[in-house]
Amino acid sequence: MPTVGLYVHIPFCERVCPYCDFAVVAVRKVEPELEARYVAALIREIESRAVEFEGAQLDTVYFGGGTPSLFRPEALAKILEAATRAFAASTPPREITLEVNPSTVERDRLPAFRSSGIDRISLGVQSFDDATLKRLGRAHKAHEARQTFTAARQAGFGNVSLDLILACPHQGFDAFARDLEEALALEPEHLSLYELTIEAGTPFEFAASRDQLAPPDDEVATRMLEHTAARSAGAGFERYEISNYARPGFASLHNQRYWAREAVLGVGTGAWSYEAPGARFRFGARRMNPRDLGAYFAAVGAGGDEGVESEVLTLEQARGEAIFLSLRRRTGVDARAFEAEFGGRPRKFYDEQIDRLMAAGLLAETESGDLRLSDRGLLLSDTVFADFV
Amino acid sequence: MKSFPQERIRNFCIVAHIDHGKSTLADRLMDETGAVTEREKQEQLLDSMDIERERGITIKAQTVRMVYRAQDGEEYLLNLIDTPGHVDFSYEVSRSLSACEGAVLVVDAAQGIEAQTLANTYLAIDADLEIIPAVNKIDLPSADPDRVAQEIEDIVGLDAADVIPVSAKSGVGMHELLEAIVEKVPPPTGEADVPTRALVFDAWFDTYVGAVMLVRVIEGRIKKRQRVKFMIKGSERETTNLSVYTPHQVEVKELGPGEVGAVVAGVKTLSDVLIGDTITTMDNPASEPLPGFQEVKPMVFAGLYPVDAEDYEDLKASLEKLKINDSSFDYEPETSMALGFGFRCGFLGFLHAEIIQERLEREFELNLITTAPTVRYRVVPKKGEAFEIESPAALPEATDIQAIEEPVVLATIHVPSEHLGQVLTLCQERRGVQKDMAVHGSRVQVRYLLPLNEIVTDFHDKLKSATRGYGSFDYELQGYQEASLVKLDIMVNGDPVDALSLIVHRDHAQSKGAELTRKLKEFIPRQQFAVAIQAAIGSKIIARTTVRALRKNVTAKCYGGDITRKRKLLEKQKAGKKRMKMVGSVEIPQEAFLAALKLGDS
Ligand SMILES: Nc1nc2c(ncn2[C@@H]2O[C@H](COP(=O)(O)OP(=O)(O)OP(=O)(O)O)[C@@H](O)[C@H]2O)c(=O)[nH]1
Ligand code: SF4
Ligand SMILES: [Mg+2]
Repeated sequence: MPTVGLYVHIPFCERVCPYCDFAVVAVRKVEPELEARYVAALIREIESRAVEFEGAQLDTVYFGGGTPSLFRPEALAKILEAATRAFAASTPPREITLEVNPSTVERDRLPAFRSSGIDRISLGVQSFDDATLKRLGRAHKAHEARQTFTAARQAGFGNVSLDLILACPHQGFDAFARDLEEALALEPEHLSLYELTIEAGTPFEFAASRDQLAPPDDEVATRMLEHTAARSAGAGFERYEISNYARPGFASLHNQRYWAREAVLGVGTGAWSYEAPGARFRFGARRMNPRDLGAYFAAVGAGGDEGVESEVLTLEQARGEAIFLSLRRRTGVDARAFEAEFGGRPRKFYDEQIDRLMAAGLLAETESGDLRLSDRGLLLSDTVFADFV
Repeated sequence: MKSFPQERIRNFCIVAHIDHGKSTLADRLMDETGAVTEREKQEQLLDSMDIERERGITIKAQTVRMVYRAQDGEEYLLNLIDTPGHVDFSYEVSRSLSACEGAVLVVDAAQGIEAQTLANTYLAIDADLEIIPAVNKIDLPSADPDRVAQEIEDIVGLDAADVIPVSAKSGVGMHELLEAIVEKVPPPTGEADVPTRALVFDAWFDTYVGAVMLVRVIEGRIKKRQRVKFMIKGSERETTNLSVYTPHQVEVKELGPGEVGAVVAGVKTLSDVLIGDTITTMDNPASEPLPGFQEVKPMVFAGLYPVDAEDYEDLKASLEKLKINDSSFDYEPETSMALGFGFRCGFLGFLHAEIIQERLEREFELNLITTAPTVRYRVVPKKGEAFEIESPAALPEATDIQAIEEPVVLATIHVPSEHLGQVLTLCQERRGVQKDMAVHGSRVQVRYLLPLNEIVTDFHDKLKSATRGYGSFDYELQGYQEASLVKLDIMVNGDPVDALSLIVHRDHAQSKGAELTRKLKEFIPRQQFAVAIQAAIGSKIIARTTVRALRKNVTAKCYGGDITRKRKLLEKQKAGKKRMKMVGSVEIPQEAFLAALKLGDS
């Protein structure tokens, strides 16, 4: 039976971080009317778009943002109910994640979130160093992150992930290593370690263009990445994707859907959906909702599709994505599965590239033609991927 | 199209220094005579190539036929040719002159006489044309039409009272100018009932009909569906189509004496067209062809290579086609160790080289690498005869060379006296030797002997910036002179890259080597390993630098929409890679091969 993941985008944040390029709206407080209006729109969208994934079993749900924990637990519960109804789920989703920022309000709501069915928390710690947090423009302090983590445990969350950012402005190697130790000391089930990305149009980009950001140089950032890989392995984590680490059995089910090219229905402002290759689209398709809240309310949230961007993938695009998304994962490219989908093992299409990348020590190949990035390949993954698109 | 008696035909071209407003003036003349409708109007309408519009300059001469009702109540047929002003294209001007009896000499009322004003005026005088002087841009606040009219009298020798003040922007003076053209430019003199002779003065390639030839009928007439002969090439054809440009292409049945028009005669093989050839008719052939054009000799040379070796044949075919339209460049096959098979091309100047490359890339969709331009050196070996080289790679070992001679030009520079100092310094730096100096009011004309290789690339830009845009220059080849020259080689990770070699003066070698390696470092992207860039003279390394290895290249987040974004980025990266050339195991981008041009910019 086909499955689908549901991504629910809740765009509100108390303030906008200077490096953020998500679809976000800054609101001091989410007023009940706004919450109700947005929830109604989301439900409307889920109901009208479920047909795109007709017959699919709802496998995972992910509340992301923005700061979804700014919504009251009842509101999220309502969305979950609507989703279960729309997909006529016979069994509950296997994983329901909520992104949480470390703040008092959100902390107090954790037990209620848990009762609504949410079973996984992704906590936006970013750093355990107050100075670094400040430079990142984050509102919280390190001790609040620890308190929120403890509260999550007390509320009964047995699957908690911590988000850390590495290569932050002014961050030295030691400062980062301390962040990592602090994170490990909390004994979470999952870690996401993202190198700071300077996105176009953000205040950080502006600062970087004037050399005012002072990020660690490439050499240091590389050491941070290498250290993360070594240290987390020592602590019993498996690096199951370039930026994601988990204890056995705790890899994010929802996020793995993206790399496995499995269907995801994304609802809310700026949310992306992916339809896996099938009867509707031979090589799959992606679509994005309008990012603007007003446009979303007016169109998608009202059952329409104005302002929606969509992309129908071609065979070559699908094949390229299959390679680079698989290579992002520890499991790599399964040559047989690839052959079943594309009518040939990777060598059939990329023989010369594979030889070249192997010779450069970036790629490893098994007897049966499975492909994986080498340790060096993990550091130069985009260089490798460029050969496959 | 109505026919006109010969005495009411006027053929004239517009000549001037670059940017003095020739093409804009042509716009106004077309307005004034109603040649284009309101809807079709656009600035510099005759600059129809994309590159012309983007760069705001004319590269190819263009003709337009217009009908003008003059004050005497009669209608006249005016054939206008708009010409380019840049020195590299003066060949276009000379050819256009041969189709005219008159020339409108345009001088910018704020800039005054500049180097190409004079050069083009002399061309027109040599061609025996009636010259109608006009000062343009009188609408500008800084315009000084009276002073400029006086300059025209003093320097060119035309009566200041005859200078017509105009503004091609506002349209002021168009009527006066048209009347002067009708009145002063003599009608063409050729007879109708003698053996036909028509001069081919331009041609281009059309995918559907083949070669289109622009002709000026000197005497006799050409008809549609008539057997004709190309007197120099010796080939015989039938005309399939005759037309004129108004500026729209309009078919005509015949072209009579004095008329200018386009001829299509089923010429498909490119080697069958010669600009300067004479067309005559088979029923009553002329005995002697018209004097053609003097062959122009390229002065600047560069290698042109396809980025993708598989495009070599395409490049060859494209060069052939482009050559019909621009007979002033040359090419011959060349092989580079670094770049593979390509062509060594000769151009009239640096702008010409740039334009040819750009036209090949655009009009023929080729992806090319151009090497740094060089001039033609004469090498006197210790043993054997002296010979010429057009590529640094062809220079023998230093130990086998007795002497190297370089081409020297006589440059004429026009500059307002307040900027003279900067100009003298610039010429000094470029190894110039002053010849003479003349003062005309507030403007100075200095003449310098300069090595051609010192002026081919950026001399013009440097002159402009040293004189806040008021300096201009023109040059002509003087001959060869011995100089202390050496070959500067570049090595990338130990492999010599022949296409990056330069011939430089010994005194400049050290600084050029250091700067070139530094520039290359900017162009060569970081690779998976460190890349050493060295400059050497013979076996002696004179400068080195390193592009550090790329340590990491990772996208941290890749969910949902990131995937599409990432894929597009990767696709772009891959397209960028296609524009790189592998030298040994190092990827070198196209632009790096022109790094030598950027020397002295920082
Ligand atoms: N103010 C003013 N500007 C003018 C006038 N005539 C031309 N220009 C401007 O001068 C610039 C050069 O004009 P063009 O007509 O392209 O000059 P050109 O002589 O054809 O230039 P080349 O063909 O490149 O030699 C343009 O920006 C015109 O808009 C004029 O009468 N008044
Ligand atoms: S909290 Fe997250 S979503 Fe909100 S602005 Fe900051 S980075 Fe963006
Ligand atoms: Mg022009």
